[in-house]
Amino acid sequence: MSELAIAAILAATILVASTISVEIGLSVALIELAAGVVVGNAFDLSVPDWLSFIGSFAGIVLTFLAGAEVDVPQFKREWRASLLLGGVSFAAPFVVVGLFAYYALDWNREQAEIAGIALSTTSLAVVYAVLVETGLNQTLIGKRLMSATFVTDFGTAAALSILFITPNLWIVPFVGASAVLILGLPRMAPDFFRRYGNRVIEPEIKLVFAALFLLMWLGDRANSHAVLPAFLLGLALSSHYAQHRTEQQRLRVVAFAFLTPFFFLKGGMNVSVGAVWANLGILALLSAGKMVPKLGGVYPLARRYTAPHAAFTTLLMSTGLTFGTISSLYGLNAGIIDRTQFSLLVSVVVLSAIVPTAIAQRFFQPHAATEQARDEAGAPMPAVPAEALTREVS
Amino acid sequence: MPFERILVAIDGSEPSDHAFTKAVELALATDGTLHALAVEGPLPAYAATIGEVDEVKREKDTFFSALCARARQQAEEADVPIEVELRPGHAAEVIIAVAAETNADLIVLGHRGHFLRDHLLGSTADRVAEHAGCPVMIVR
Repeated sequence: MSELAIAAILAATILVASTISVEIGLSVALIELAAGVVVGNAFDLSVPDWLSFIGSFAGIVLTFLAGAEVDVPQFKREWRASLLLGGVSFAAPFVVVGLFAYYALDWNREQAEIAGIALSTTSLAVVYAVLVETGLNQTLIGKRLMSATFVTDFGTAAALSILFITPNLWIVPFVGASAVLILGLPRMAPDFFRRYGNRVIEPEIKLVFAALFLLMWLGDRANSHAVLPAFLLGLALSSHYAQHRTEQQRLRVVAFAFLTPFFFLKGGMNVSVGAVWANLGILALLSAGKMVPKLGGVYPLARRYTAPHAAFTTLLMSTGLTFGTISSLYGLNAGIIDRTQFSLLVSVVVLSAIVPTAIAQRFFQPHAATEQARDEAGAPMPAVPAEALTREVS
Repeated sequence: MPFERILVAIDGSEPSDHAFTKAVELALATDGTLHALAVEGPLPAYAATIGEVDEVKREKDTFFSALCARARQQAEEADVPIEVELRPGHAAEVIIAVAAETNADLIVLGHRGHFLRDHLLGSTADRVAEHAGCPVMIVR
């Protein structure tokens, strides 16, 4: 099949995915992933090089956007609780899944590390959607959850960039360019955007893309990955975007219209339904490998910092989607994991986006009005024993 | 006097506009008060980016604030006392809950008539009519 024919099929698939998303109210990313699975398996389409390239860039753009969404002032206010919750939320499943994959599944060390990273993530967007929909994003519990999720994502980005590095001399320009961009862009952005912004040719988006491509190239030459600097660059520009929502909106339009659909399609097309079907037992064990340490590690801390809604917090911290897919695709592209391992990891990631969220919303969702009243009454979630808080609430 | 507290559900559709007009007429006839309720449906479930959620939320907020303002203006022009409320959630569940909270004597809502969806899942009007604790008027 010619590349143009494949492009036409994929463009039509992306269009259909968008309309289905609007009609049924499900995230377009999940539908694109599912569509990729269908297209990839039913038509036996292999991922062409151009799709792989766009998909890789889209993954970095997604990482940048995730960094740019962070509410830095809020994180500074809640850093202690967030570091503990988010740090454990990353470390516990990373260690457990990594050890399980290495010893029980006989994956090699790098494969086990990819598994650990992919299944330790927490989905910032899934958590955000639940909080915004209910108004809980305005409450202390919601703000703590978002800040903690950022820490978990940071752990993922750092692990991806650091664990698989095989240093050579290119590491010097890679680190140097990362530092210059992360420190320099926020300073030059206001002047640059003022002089060249608000034009249909979008120089400000091109500036971001040029920076990300540079990081990808240098990261590749340094045998590393641009995930961490891209995330930090987004984080560095988050305050600017918070003050200039239109610029952020334009960047989103470009990303969502052209880039991210190819990222999720590419992810879906690499999933082998046969491999998942043949390894349902391993799928279940990997799912447990993600959930059990999340529950065991996060719940005690959540009882301390987000009481009396520890179960809700724990379940939402157990979700995953974008960073899990990014990590798995990195492992596949770098030749670290094979297609079966990728299929299993992405399947667990997608399940973790749906199952914990549904349980949290159905059985444990706090009422925003009650939480706001609790915040206003000055009886939020201080760092005191959970029993005391439970008594206070009851 | 019957129908002193009328709850009318609004969603910006043509049947909903008809329902609102009928509710205003009814409130005038019974010297009653209106409680207009708009229910903001769910955001994209299991989103992959905050941007996707933010943009949908922004569109919904813009749409519903205009809808609520229009309802308030129409009622005021007809000299009918009105309270306008916007709540998130599942339409039928929220309408029934608000009717109970406000001790509504009557619920008025439009029927949009989604053929396939109605037959598969049932319409909001059907569900409200089945589960509400007060009379329900469905306007076509």
